[in-house]
Amino acid sequence: MHFVTGGAFNGKRKWVKKLYQVHEACCWISAYENHPFPASINDRDRDFLVLEGIELWLKQILQTEDVNNYRDFFRNRIHHWLEWEMEKPSRKLVIIGTDISKGIVPLEKENRLWRDITGWVYQDLAAKAERVDVIWYGINQIMKGQTLQ
Amino acid sequence: MALIPSLIFITGGVRSGKSRFAEKMAIELAHKTGGRLTFLATGVPSDPEMKDRITKHKLDRESSNASWRTLEKTVQIGEMAEVIDHQDIVLMDCVTTLLNNELFQTNQEWTENFLTNVKDQIVSGILTIKKQARTVIVVSNEVLHEPFSENKLVLAYVRVLGAIHQMFVRASDQAFLVEAGIPIMMKGDQS
Repeated sequence: MHFVTGGAFNGKRKWVKKLYQVHEACCWISAYENHPFPASINDRDRDFLVLEGIELWLKQILQTEDVNNYRDFFRNRIHHWLEWEMEKPSRKLVIIGTDISKGIVPLEKENRLWRDITGWVYQDLAAKAERVDVIWYGINQIMKGQTLQ
Repeated sequence: MALIPSLIFITGGVRSGKSRFAEKMAIELAHKTGGRLTFLATGVPSDPEMKDRITKHKLDRESSNASWRTLEKTVQIGEMAEVIDHQDIVLMDCVTTLLNNELFQTNQEWTENFLTNVKDQIVSGILTIKKQARTVIVVSNEVLHEPFSENKLVLAYVRVLGAIHQMFVRASDQAFLVEAGIPIMMKGDQS
């Protein structure tokens, strides 16, 4: 699992496409394109998948899931994704999430909660990912792991 | 002699010290090349607060022992290329002010066409100046690390700004992110 983060409109998608030499059509599941959260990815007929816009799905899930179970719920998803990846050596999962953590404190309680949870989930993702990159206007900084390709 | 960078891009948060760093860099380059310091002022003194800010920046530059030539241009920045030559170390601070000027100078609707034109106006404008000048240093703000999903206008604004920043980083020889006064080199040769 490869976790890619960074500010909005910093070129994260473009960078991932270039690194892995792929197009959106291959394998993109994106909250920015209004795709629903893929609770399971076992039914996808691909070995390479990109899940994009984690923070938006987190906001949606927050409206249905009990806050107390929230982090466990998402840790289970991460566990499921890692299992999917390990089933075949050719499998690879890339997760893209926009960093929404550096603005002023949101006025609304739900948005504060959303921001908190996004930060915690990103920590969980980074802990489980073999590689983590932060993208700054198209330039990557490797935070964890090594250049693989 | 070390290579003189032709385009330098610098960002940072509010009060991160990015302007100070950019000025210091410009002055060093002017010393190294015997060039002329040129400041491209983009702010419109539209209200007392903006007037104060402009005055403060002006005084800062005047007290720095370096002599600056100040050129004022609030929109269509590329037209300044006419008065810039190979001597000039040009400092442009900052992109967001320029973007605001271009976006709000008229009451035009923010169509895709308009937004693309504004983006090109700014990027190709600076690149035209870069062709004339010895070095251009472009300063901008880090404002893209918070949620934007709610407001369409804000979303359009940050999308254009992000695209402009990406284009400048790609075109630059050196790019820096300034955190609490400390510049981090994101692009360029460490030396």
